[in-house]
Amino acid sequence: MVVLLQALFSGLALGGIYSLVAVGFNITHGTTRTFNFGQGEFLVAGAFVSVSVLLLLAGKGINAPLDAIDVTPTVYAVSLVGGTLVTAVLGVMLYFTAVRPFAGRPGLAWVMSTIGFGILVQNTALAIWGPSPVPMPSPLGNDVIRLAGAGFVPQEILVLVVSVAVLIALDVVMRRTRLGKAMRAVAENRNAATLMGIDVSAVVVGAFVLSSAFAGLAGLLVAPITTASVYMGLTLALKAFSAAIVGGLDNPRGCMLGGFLMGLLEALVGLWHAELREIAIFLLIIVVLAVKPEGLLGRRRVEKV
Amino acid sequence: MDIRRWIGGALAMATALAAGTVQAQDIKIGFNGDQSATAVAELGTAGRWGFEMAIEDINKAGGVLGRKLVPVIRDDLGTPPKSIQNVTELIDNEGVAAIVGPTNSGNALAFMHIPQQKKIPVIVPIATATEVTTRYAKQAQNFLFRISMVDREQVALIVAYAVKASPTKKIAIIADSTGYGQGGIKDATEVLALHGIKPVAVEKFGPKDTDMTSQLSKIRGEGADTVIVYAIADGTAHTLKSLDKIGWAPITLSTWGSQSSVLPRTAGQKLAERLILTASTTEDSNPRAKALGERIRKNYPTMTTFACAAQAYDAVLLLAAAMKAAGTTDGEKVAAALEGVTGVQGIVKTYDKPFSKTDHEGLTVADFYLARWKGSLVGRYEDAVTKTFTPADFKK
Repeated sequence: MVVLLQALFSGLALGGIYSLVAVGFNITHGTTRTFNFGQGEFLVAGAFVSVSVLLLLAGKGINAPLDAIDVTPTVYAVSLVGGTLVTAVLGVMLYFTAVRPFAGRPGLAWVMSTIGFGILVQNTALAIWGPSPVPMPSPLGNDVIRLAGAGFVPQEILVLVVSVAVLIALDVVMRRTRLGKAMRAVAENRNAATLMGIDVSAVVVGAFVLSSAFAGLAGLLVAPITTASVYMGLTLALKAFSAAIVGGLDNPRGCMLGGFLMGLLEALVGLWHAELREIAIFLLIIVVLAVKPEGLLGRRRVEKV
Repeated sequence: MDIRRWIGGALAMATALAAGTVQAQDIKIGFNGDQSATAVAELGTAGRWGFEMAIEDINKAGGVLGRKLVPVIRDDLGTPPKSIQNVTELIDNEGVAAIVGPTNSGNALAFMHIPQQKKIPVIVPIATATEVTTRYAKQAQNFLFRISMVDREQVALIVAYAVKASPTKKIAIIADSTGYGQGGIKDATEVLALHGIKPVAVEKFGPKDTDMTSQLSKIRGEGADTVIVYAIADGTAHTLKSLDKIGWAPITLSTWGSQSSVLPRTAGQKLAERLILTASTTEDSNPRAKALGERIRKNYPTMTTFACAAQAYDAVLLLAAAMKAAGTTDGEKVAAALEGVTGVQGIVKTYDKPFSKTDHEGLTVADFYLARWKGSLVGRYEDAVTKTFTPADFKK
């Protein structure tokens, strides 16, 4: 029982990260039918910019190791703002250089250009911070918290709380506010949205900003658990993308569900046979795609002719 | 006729001149290994510092064969292609007489055919895969030597401790899914079998995994009281964190890779000190080691994995001794001389015939001991169990 509870905790924490990144895919897919294939590298950028902000605030050099006393909740929050701001700006750059010239055109040029942009980001990070992983202390310390026999570190709770809070906020914004309605309108029909007086290009840029900021946020949240590494992006982004596909790429709630599902599946299969986790995840994708190609909560798109 | 003799004479003179200029030159020794890219980069950096110190000391004492040693340093970033490129460049462009390196076993296995073909002796001061010295053992001359902690010999020590210390003899293995971890599972299972013990559980995790609670819960469920962790430092650190999460503190053993500062930095000081690991030398093991540690620390206060520095230091001493014995830097003669060197006082130990024609491992389990993190340093670990060790315990 305790073992199961432990797996549930681990799965939910990991799932929170997958959800954040998966929702990022949904936001831009909704507005432009494209998404950033280099999303994982934005995660890297977010993590490393935040680490640098932390080092700066601690008065240390860019390649110095971070000590636990350098990371208080306050400076962590500051670095969080720094990291998400930089990735948000990267998102704007991504949109204007790698997405706008190709979006809506036939062909898949935007796939290559977003992957390329991601590689640019990753290699820049490699040039600045070097290839070695940077252990990052958690602002809440490393002491294990126990609940009904299962243990978890405070950072995992932070990851879960922050990602759920952000996802709920996003859900409310998308459903209740004018901005959210505008975004959904653009997703539904660009031309009609323009005719209704919605500034479509602003909404689209906003979508890329939001999506990239989410990736940056995920990077900083996950870094104290996994250590910040230039190579940490690809695996996370791939699983997040799988989550979006399983949950339904065009439904933000589906992406969230998919993310948590992936995290839980990984942890629970690990209880049984750790080396079968990846197999289980991709088997699930194949099964879901075969039974419900639009994803668990996805909506079948009917083309009216 | 006259002209032919004249040409012949000129050629002979030119050859003599060329040989003369080469002899007047310094002896270049290459160092190739990861010093920046992966979790084992710290081992490579420490190795480089030991390598440089040894060359400094030899030059202070008059060099080798009346010539100065010159270090040529290359970083292979932990990738095999770069390592191959570095070794080719060191041999063909720099004309090194010998190479010390690399850090990663995979890189050693990738580049070793080059020095073997070009007859350049290599002493491996860090990489631990068994095959590095055995692959060419059947050839007329094997050019690969090692002064490091071979996997199998480390396992012999770890398992000897596990078997004696475990109250219930229920021992489990957890390893990462890389070649290193899988090799460790194989070695540990085989050595346990020599002790008549079958591991109660063998679990794996991915090299990038950070949560091993599921695997460890399973191991605990099997009733194990001793866990052997076979992974590079960050994987081992995450295993310690996961052990803490499930609130379990079995006897935990791992290899010398855990001497990397990545371990305490990732797992925290408190958890790092729970782990028992292997060492060939630590700064507290003898006065020479202490002096070398202090010297390196003067320039590089952040040094960890002192053993790598010591092993690389000794590798250079052995090469120098072999060159002196051979009276030349010719690779083939130096390699042959290495198999006969004796009485070389190094940091780890005094090397009396460390190598033979068939055995190119300079260090064995008899030279190793257990160690543990204490504060910011790794020091020798002793308890009631280690005091009862006899050579017969180290089955391999």
